[in-house]
Amino acid sequence: MKTAVKRLYEGLFLVDSALAASDWDGVLGTIRKFLERAGADIVSLKKWDDRRLAYEVDGKSRGTYILTYFHCEPSRVHGIERDVNLSERVLRVLILRADRMSREDIEKPTPAELHPEGSSMPVTEPSEPENSAADASAAEAADGEAAASE
Amino acid sequence: MAKETGPSKKKKKFLTTLREQTQCRFCREGRQYIDYKDVEALQKLLTNRGKIFSRKRSGNCAGCQRKVKLAIKRARFMALLPFTA
Repeated sequence: MKTAVKRLYEGLFLVDSALAASDWDGVLGTIRKFLERAGADIVSLKKWDDRRLAYEVDGKSRGTYILTYFHCEPSRVHGIERDVNLSERVLRVLILRADRMSREDIEKPTPAELHPEGSSMPVTEPSEPENSAADASAAEAADGEAAASE
Repeated sequence: MAKETGPSKKKKKFLTTLREQTQCRFCREGRQYIDYKDVEALQKLLTNRGKIFSRKRSGNCAGCQRKVKLAIKRARFMALLPFTA
């Protein structure tokens, strides 16, 4: 007889910004219900960020991300994903194993907490200029810049 | 022809004295895991059309490039990064 071990998972839920603004408690309640149905012990559940989506999901162009950490039996994680797919309130979810996460990682401030007013950054931010020819020296220079900015 | 090789050899010797970056940007920081939620770091590894830079262009080591690839693909699924732009 083997007892099921609960692992630590990280889940990021995507919900429509308009819905999150009008019924925040309802959205959290929905997510909490999904997790509890899978027998999960919730470690943390908080807003990650509110930002413009890189592409439209179900016709929505803004989304609110909700980050959660929970302990759950591996075989029941699939149930959460199925609940989300059937739900009309939650657009997407990504659940990953988070065994490597320490307590500090879990309690790290989210972008929403760091920049309370508005979205922290636009998605279509121009990246480094694209080189037509793969110029090794330019690549090194860009790498150096990135290192300096970090 | 022999005249041309002279100065280039000298230049080569000068260049080898400069210290090159021996590690990729993630190895230098000693990161074990590249988070898909770190959009700012991943954005630097994309063209303005949303394609992933080659290893030659980004300077990543093979292992880090694989981690970056996975992180970018996860971020794309969550609409944090574009599939195309």
